[in-house]
Amino acid sequence: MLRVLIAKDLRRTRRNPLPLAINILIPLVITALVGLTFGGKSDSGALGRIRFALVDEDKTILSDFLRGSANQREGGKYLDPVILERDAALREINDNKISAVLIIPTNFTRHYLSGKTNVSLELIKNPAQSIHPAVMEELLGALVTALNAISRNLQSEFPEWQEVIEGKRDYKEISNLIERAGDKFKAAKKFINPPLVVYEKDPAANSTTANKTTASTNSISATNTPKPAEKKSNPMAETFAYLLVGMAGMFLLFLASNAMTDLHRELRQRTLARFHTLHHQLGPFVAAKILFAVVVLLIASFILLICGGGILFGVAWQHAGSLALLVLGYACFAAGLMAVLVALIPDERKAGALNTIIAMGLGMAGGCLFPPRALPAFLREHITPLLPSYWFVDTARNLQSSGGNVVWVLPLIKLFILSAVLMVVASVLFRRLFRMGARV
Amino acid sequence: MSLLRVQGLFKAFGPLRAVDSVSFEVRPGEIYGLLGPNGAGKTTTISMISGLLKPDAGEVIVAGTPFWSNPQKAKRIMGVVPQELAIYEELTGRENLEFWGRMAGLSSGDAKSRATELLEALTLTDRAKDAVKTYSGGMKRRINLGCALLHKPQLLLLDEPTVGIDPQARQNILEFITKLRASGTAILYTTHYLEEAESLCQRIGIIDHGRLLAEGTLKELQDRLGGDRLFALEADLKDSSPEAWDGFLQRFRVIQKTEKQIVVSPIGTRDPSDCLKDLLGLPVRVENVTLKRPSLNDVFLQLTGRELRE
Repeated sequence: MLRVLIAKDLRRTRRNPLPLAINILIPLVITALVGLTFGGKSDSGALGRIRFALVDEDKTILSDFLRGSANQREGGKYLDPVILERDAALREINDNKISAVLIIPTNFTRHYLSGKTNVSLELIKNPAQSIHPAVMEELLGALVTALNAISRNLQSEFPEWQEVIEGKRDYKEISNLIERAGDKFKAAKKFINPPLVVYEKDPAANSTTANKTTASTNSISATNTPKPAEKKSNPMAETFAYLLVGMAGMFLLFLASNAMTDLHRELRQRTLARFHTLHHQLGPFVAAKILFAVVVLLIASFILLICGGGILFGVAWQHAGSLALLVLGYACFAAGLMAVLVALIPDERKAGALNTIIAMGLGMAGGCLFPPRALPAFLREHITPLLPSYWFVDTARNLQSSGGNVVWVLPLIKLFILSAVLMVVASVLFRRLFRMGARV
Repeated sequence: MSLLRVQGLFKAFGPLRAVDSVSFEVRPGEIYGLLGPNGAGKTTTISMISGLLKPDAGEVIVAGTPFWSNPQKAKRIMGVVPQELAIYEELTGRENLEFWGRMAGLSSGDAKSRATELLEALTLTDRAKDAVKTYSGGMKRRINLGCALLHKPQLLLLDEPTVGIDPQARQNILEFITKLRASGTAILYTTHYLEEAESLCQRIGIIDHGRLLAEGTLKELQDRLGGDRLFALEADLKDSSPEAWDGFLQRFRVIQKTEKQIVVSPIGTRDPSDCLKDLLGLPVRVENVTLKRPSLNDVFLQLTGRELRE
C-alpha cells in the first residue's frame, strides 16, 4: 500500500512540478548570481585568462623583458596581454574589451637603473569589471616588490647595467656583470626557496579548523602536492559548492514543508477522508506522505547538487557517498520536522506560514545563507551548533573542502536519531488528531 | 434482513445537536433517501455510518455486526461517495479509479480491469486518459461515484452525489444508481432535491435539525397529509384565523398558513367540488384556489412549518 500511495504522490508531483521546480531553481539561480558577482568562470573552470593592454612608452630592453615575460610559461596560462598604444588601449577599456591597461612610462628603465628618482608603473583598471582588475593590481604589486628587491640588491651594479643597455660595454664586461649578478642570486637562494613562510592544508584538521598558516622549513613541493585520490575542482567551483550546500540546507526544508503540507490538501479535498472510509488506520497514509517527502527531497538534492552543481557549476563533489548519506539523514530530519508541524497546526495557511518561518530560521541560524562565523557571537556559539541544519551544512562543506578525515558519521547519526524522534512524535500527534476521525 | 441499521444515533458539536436520536435501516436492493435541507445532519449521519466520525451515542450495525466492533470489516462492505469531489485532479480518470481500487484492496490487475468496466459503465472511456481537472462537473461527479465502486460494495453511501451539476448529467447518474440498486446493492442516498427522492427512493426519511421527523414510502408520507389532494387558497389572511371559521378545522387539516396563502388537505373522503365550495364560502376575499397532488415538500411543510427549498 505504501508503494501505491507514494507512486500516486510522485505522479501528482510530476503532473504539477512547479513547486518542486521553483524550490530547485531558486537556489541554483541564487548560486549562479553570487558566482557571477565574483566574475563568472571560463571554459576551463577557472577565472579565465586576464586580457589586458600593455603600453610600452619606454621601449628599452628592460621594458621589452617585462612585456615579453607577461605571457610566458605560467603567466601565459592566466594572462593575455595585448601590446597597444595608450589611446588604443584606453578605447579598448572603454569598450570593456580588456580588464586593465598597464603603462610602462617613458624613461622607466633609465630612472630605475639610476636609482635617483622614484619610478612608477601605471595601471588603469576597468571599472566595469571586479575580479580581473583586482587580480591585475595584486600581480602588479608583486612585480613592484620584485623590482624593489632587485633594486636594493643590485644597486651598485645598476650604472654598469645602464651602460650595457646603452651599448657602451663589450661582451667580456657584460659576461662579468652577469656572473656577479648570478653569484648574488645564488647566495640569496636559500632565503628565497623554500620560503620561510608557507600556506598549507593541515591534513589532520578537524571540521572547524581546516586551513591555517604555519611556519615551516619543509619543502613546498611536499606540502602542496594534491592527493592522487581526490578529484580536482577549481576554486570558483569550490565557491559554488559552498553556496550550493547552504542553499540545499535551506531549500530542502521548504520542499519538505511543501511535501508535508500536501497532507493538508488531502484533508481539504477529502481524499484523506475517502481513504479513511476504506481503512480504519490512517498511519499508512501519513507514513507514505513522510516517505514521499523524503523521496522528493532526495530527487531535489540529486538535481540540485549533482545536476546543478556538477554540470552547471563544474563542482567535483569529493566523497559523494558520505555526502549522499548526509543528504539522506537531512531529508529524513526535514520530513520528520515538517510532519510534526503539520500535525501540530491543522490549519493549512497557518502551517504554511509557520513552516516557512521555521525553515528560514533554521537555515539562517544554521549557516545556510551566511558563513557561521559571520553570525552574531551568541548565535554562533550557543545556538548554531545545536541546529541540524548546521550539522548538515557544516559537515557537507567540510567534506568538500577538507578531505576525507572530516568527522561526518557523528552528525549523520545525530540526524537519523533526531529524525526517528520527530517521526515518533508526529505519529503520536497524528493519532491524537485523527482520534475523532479524518474530518478535522 | 437489513444491511445497514442505525439506532439512536447522536452527535453533538458543543451545544449543537447535529444528529439527534436518528434511527433507520436500509435493505439490500433498496434506495433509502435521507431528505433534508442543508445543515439538517445528513452528512454528519453518513460520516458516522462510514466511521469518519464516532457517534456520541447510538449504534451503527452493518450486515448484522456493530460497526465499531470491527470497523475494517464494515468498511470492506461499504462504498462511500462523499459530497465533495474526493479525487485527484492531477491524475487521469483511469488513474483515479485504479488508485482507489488498490486502496480498496484489489490487486493491480483487478483494479485495472475493474476500472475499465466502470469507465465503460459511466460512459467515460473516451476521456479515461485525460486529467480529471479537464473534466466537466458532471464527469467529475461520475468519477467520484466510480471511485467508491471498485470493490463492488454491498452497501453504498451516497452523500448528495448530484449536487451542482446540470440536469442531463444528473439524469445519467440517477440512471446509473438505479442499475446499481437493481443489482442488489443497498443504497443510502442523501439529498435535498425533492424530485430525486420522489423518483429514486423506495423509502424516504425526512430529517431536519438533526432529527428524523418521518420516514416511509412516498405513499406513506403523502398519506400523513390525509389524502391525495391539497387545496392552496390565496387570499388576504392577515387578520383571519382558521380557528374562527365555523367548523373549518373539522373538515380540513391546515398544512401551512401565511398572510397570503393557506394550504389545506380535506379530512376524510370528500368530493373535491364540495371542498372547493367550502373554501370559496370562507369569510375572506379569495383571489385564487388551486387543487394539487401532495408532494414531499408538502410533507416537509407539514412537519416543519417551512418549505424544503427555503
